[in-house]
Amino acid sequence: MDDLSTHVLLFLVVSAVIVAISSMFSEPEDGPALKMYPRRLLKFVVGSGLVLAVMLVCEHTFASIH
Amino acid sequence: MKPHEQQRTGDPTVATLLSWLVPGAGHLYVGQVHLALIGFVVIEALYLAGVLLSHGMFLEYLPPEMRGRFAAALTPEAGNLGALLLHVRQYGFGGDEPRPWPAWMDLGTALTATSGILSILFASHANLLARLPQGGTQHPDARAQRDPALCAALTWVLPGLGHIMQGRKARGVVALVLLVGLFGLATMLAHGANLDRERHFYYWAGQFLLGPVALVTEFAHGHPRLESIPQYKDAGIVIGSIAGMLNVLLMLDVYGYGEDRALGRERAADPVSDQPVQEAPSV
Repeated sequence: MDDLSTHVLLFLVVSAVIVAISSMFSEPEDGPALKMYPRRLLKFVVGSGLVLAVMLVCEHTFASIH
Repeated sequence: MKPHEQQRTGDPTVATLLSWLVPGAGHLYVGQVHLALIGFVVIEALYLAGVLLSHGMFLEYLPPEMRGRFAAALTPEAGNLGALLLHVRQYGFGGDEPRPWPAWMDLGTALTATSGILSILFASHANLLARLPQGGTQHPDARAQRDPALCAALTWVLPGLGHIMQGRKARGVVALVLLVGLFGLATMLAHGANLDRERHFYYWAGQFLLGPVALVTEFAHGHPRLESIPQYKDAGIVIGSIAGMLNVLLMLDVYGYGEDRALGRERAADPVSDQPVQEAPSV
């Protein structure tokens, strides 16, 4: 597995745990917490992807030496 | 004064701040003399033993460029504020010349850090006692659900254990598997480099929030010299710290759940809300 794939996989694993624990924190009942989990995970991953996109654009625009 | 504050034993903010400064002072403030004495002796004895074993050198782990005025604020020892302030005043960052670490340095710093965590948990207990009605006790349901501060402490001892004590077994087991698994992954990626306070001072502090799981792993693994830098060492260090910080969310979840029952109110929609949904029980 190449380096980028490993980092993406690690990110997804950590995201899954972060969202699971934060779902437990925000919802005291197990049923609703489990139900909201897929949507929260999707929002977390997509939100992180947007932050990554902005950072890449900034890097390419302001920090590129090419 | 809000209507629900009229029956309180004391001001919870005052009780918390007193306990943060001197463990047991918050309990003394709400009239729990015996508990105050026990808490003070246990927490301060842990800190004192840690200082004696480590010769008060834990802040000397920090490299010179990181020895700022607030460098100690992000350590677990900050939970026992009074002891830490005395510590900084007495020992500071050591002298100009580096000194060899004492033989029991690791155990000593683990004890001072444990003292800080216990002090914070004890302060949260003082906060709860101050919220209870004057001359009253916890809601009858709360006894069956265990004390919220105790359950939070158990969550620090082993992630998920507090949930299990509250009868939320499935949640507790899932939390245990997730956080211990994440910590195991982190340790594997970093080849154990994450288990060293000297090497990664602040990341270690985050990881310490995972409690004895991290400590036992550290003492079992030791601090061997790294022959080469592991490829994913940085990822391992960050993930280990994340696992510890996520355990704080679990402790807050357990505490909030137990506190709602101790005060006889339904779980509020906002987990950090201070507003009771229904009136506290009269005793």
